[in-house]
Amino acid sequence: MRMKDQFRFVKQNMKKNKMRVFMTVLATAMGCAFLIVIASVPFGLHQTFVKDILQQDTINEISVQGIEKGDKYQPITEKDIKDLRKFDNVKSVTFQSYIEQTTTFSIDNYQLDTGAMAVDFKAEQDVGIPLKDGTFPSEKNEVLVGYHFATQLFPSDEKQNEKLYNEKGELKEAYQYKKEIIGQTFSMTITRMNEDGAEETKDIPVTIAGIIEKPTREWMMDTEVRISESLLHEIEQYTKTPNGQLTVPVDNQLQDKDNNYSNVTVHSYSLEQVQTLTEKLEEKHYLVYSAASSLSQLNMMFTIAKAGLIFIGTIAILIASIGIYNTMTMAVTERAPDIGIMKAIGANPKVIKRIFSLESSFIGLLGAAIGTIIAYLISLFVNFVVPLVIEAAFQEELPEGFKFSAIPVTLVIIAVVICLVVTVISGSRPAKKATKIDILKAMRREI
Amino acid sequence: MIQIKDLSHYFELGKKGDKTTIPVLHDVSLSIHQKEIVTIVGKSGSGKSTLLNLIGGFMRPSKGHVWINQKEVTKLNEADFADFRLNHIGFIFQNFQLIPSMTAYQNVELPLILKGIDEVKRAEITRETLERVGLLNYHTHYPSELSGGQQQRVSIARALVLNPPIILADEPTGSLDSETEADLLGFIQQLNQELGITFLIITHDEEVASIGNRVIEIRDGRIMEGSVSQ
Repeated sequence: MRMKDQFRFVKQNMKKNKMRVFMTVLATAMGCAFLIVIASVPFGLHQTFVKDILQQDTINEISVQGIEKGDKYQPITEKDIKDLRKFDNVKSVTFQSYIEQTTTFSIDNYQLDTGAMAVDFKAEQDVGIPLKDGTFPSEKNEVLVGYHFATQLFPSDEKQNEKLYNEKGELKEAYQYKKEIIGQTFSMTITRMNEDGAEETKDIPVTIAGIIEKPTREWMMDTEVRISESLLHEIEQYTKTPNGQLTVPVDNQLQDKDNNYSNVTVHSYSLEQVQTLTEKLEEKHYLVYSAASSLSQLNMMFTIAKAGLIFIGTIAILIASIGIYNTMTMAVTERAPDIGIMKAIGANPKVIKRIFSLESSFIGLLGAAIGTIIAYLISLFVNFVVPLVIEAAFQEELPEGFKFSAIPVTLVIIAVVICLVVTVISGSRPAKKATKIDILKAMRREI
Repeated sequence: MIQIKDLSHYFELGKKGDKTTIPVLHDVSLSIHQKEIVTIVGKSGSGKSTLLNLIGGFMRPSKGHVWINQKEVTKLNEADFADFRLNHIGFIFQNFQLIPSMTAYQNVELPLILKGIDEVKRAEITRETLERVGLLNYHTHYPSELSGGQQQRVSIARALVLNPPIILADEPTGSLDSETEADLLGFIQQLNQELGITFLIITHDEEVASIGNRVIEIRDGRIMEGSVSQ
C-alpha cells in the first residue's frame, strides 16, 4: 500500500470523529505548550545571564588575586608579573596600582576629586583597551582618564553649592567643563603627611593623552585617572609611603616595598584558552578567578534546571498520551468491522498497524505544532508582562534585554521529539490490537 | 487448483484443565480443479462454512493441509496469508461485507489500494470492473444507498477487481430475493465461463447448488460418499 494512500486513510479516519480527535490534539498541544513554556524560563534566564557576563568585556580575562607561598596567599609581585607573562596563550598581563589617597585634578578653576591608579600603558594597549578619544600616553606625565571624567569636573568656587547635582547625582550641564580636555594639562594635587602629622600638598602637572571608552554597563561611571608607573614612583618619593598612602612615613618603608600589584589580570587570546590557562595557573598555586569559569558553572546549573523542567514538562505530555491511547483504542474498537473486512480481502497486518500508528503520530505532530505556536505566544506575552509586573511591584528596573522566557529551536526540537515519541508509544498498543482483530468476529460485528 | 488433504478442525471450549473439544471437520480431503464451480451444501452446523474459512485462511486448521495453486497455504503465517489472499483469492460474503463509510467505487478500489497500484491505473480498473457488474452509474453511492442485489454486485466487483483465479463465496445469495438470486447466479456462471474463474460456493440452497459442476455434501464435518457430480 502506497504511503500517499495510507495518509488518505488516516485523513478519512480522523474525519470520522472530528470532535474526539480535536480534543486529543488539544490535550497534546497543551502538554507540549506546557513543556516548552516551563523549560523556556531557564533558557531565557540563561541567555540573559550569559549575555550579561559576555557584555562585561572580561570574558577572556583571568583575575589573579594572589599566589600561595608556603601556607599563605601573598600579593602579586613584579617577579610574578614577569612569570605570568611567560605562560602559553597569554596575550598580556595588566595590573593596577591604586594611589591610596583621593587625588584632586584641577584646571581653569574646575576640579575633580577622584581616584588614580598606575597602569602599564603598553600592556593596556596590547589588550586593546578601547579609547573614545586621544592616544595612549607615551610620556611620564601623560595620563588616560575615564569616560565620565570631563562631565564631572565642577567649578572650584561652587564646591559647597548643593545645586551642583541633579536628582540622579549627576553634575548639572550648566556647571560642566565645556572645553576639550585632550592635550590639556591639569594639576594633580597630592597630599602627604609629615612626621608630626601635619599635611602638605604638591601639584604635579599631568597632560591628558586619551579618554577611555564608555563602560559597557549603563549604570557604571568611570572618572578615574590612569597614570604611569614612573609617576607613581614620583608620588611615592614625595609621600615617602607605598602607593602614596596618607600616613606618617616609617623609616625605610619605601625601600622594603616589594612592589605589590592589585587587580592583576591575565588576558588570553580567546575564550577557549581561558579554561586551560586557568588550570595551569592554579597548578602553579595562583589564586585565580575568571568570568569564563563562572560562565561554565552557570551553564552547568542552567543545564540541570533545563533538564529538570523538561522532565516535568514531559509528565504533562505523558498525561496527554493517556488521551491519545484512549482515542486510538476507541478508534480501533469502532473500526473493528472495517479492519476485519480489510484483512479478509488481503490487507497485511503491518499495513493496518502502520495506518493506526500514523494516525497517532499525526495527532502528536499536530498537537506539537499547535503547542509550539501557543508556547511562542505565551513566551512573548510573559516577556512583555513580567518586566512590567516586576517594575510595578518591586520598583526595580530590569536590565535592558532581560528575557524571562526564551524558546530556542533546540527546545522546540526536544519538545516535538518527546511529543512524537510519547504519542507513537501510546498509539502503538491500540495499533497492535488492530492487527490482532479476528476477521470472523469482526465481520460478525462481535467486537 | 485447490487441494485439501485430511483437513480436520475442532473447537476447544472451557478453561484450562477442563476443556471440551468439539469436532467440526473430520479428515476432509478434496480437490477442486481450475475453472470449476464447486458448491458445498450441508445443513447448519455441518462444517461447510468452517471449511471455507480454513481454505480462506480466516481460521487455522487443527490438522491437515490445504494447497492453492501448488502453494501449501496452511504453512503461511498471518501476514503472508494476507498477501496470498490479496493476490489469489476473491471473497463474496452473505452479508456483502462492504465498508459502509466508503462509496461503491471506494469499496471496489480497496484491493487495488492494498496492492499499491497507482491512482490512474486504479481508476481505470475500478471503472471497468464496476461497468462489468453493471454499477458504474452507482459508483458514488454508499452501500446504504444500494439494494441487496446491487450491494452483492459491488461485493463481486471487489472480489473480481484483482483478477483472482479463485473466488470463495459463502452463502452469496443468502440475503437476496429469488429474482435477484437467479440474476446473480447467472452472473457467476458468466464470469466462470468468460474469465475462467474457479468458484467454491458454500450454500444450503438447492437452487444455488445446482449451478455447480460438482456438488459436495458435508454432514457432521464429513464429506458424504457419493456426493453428486454434475
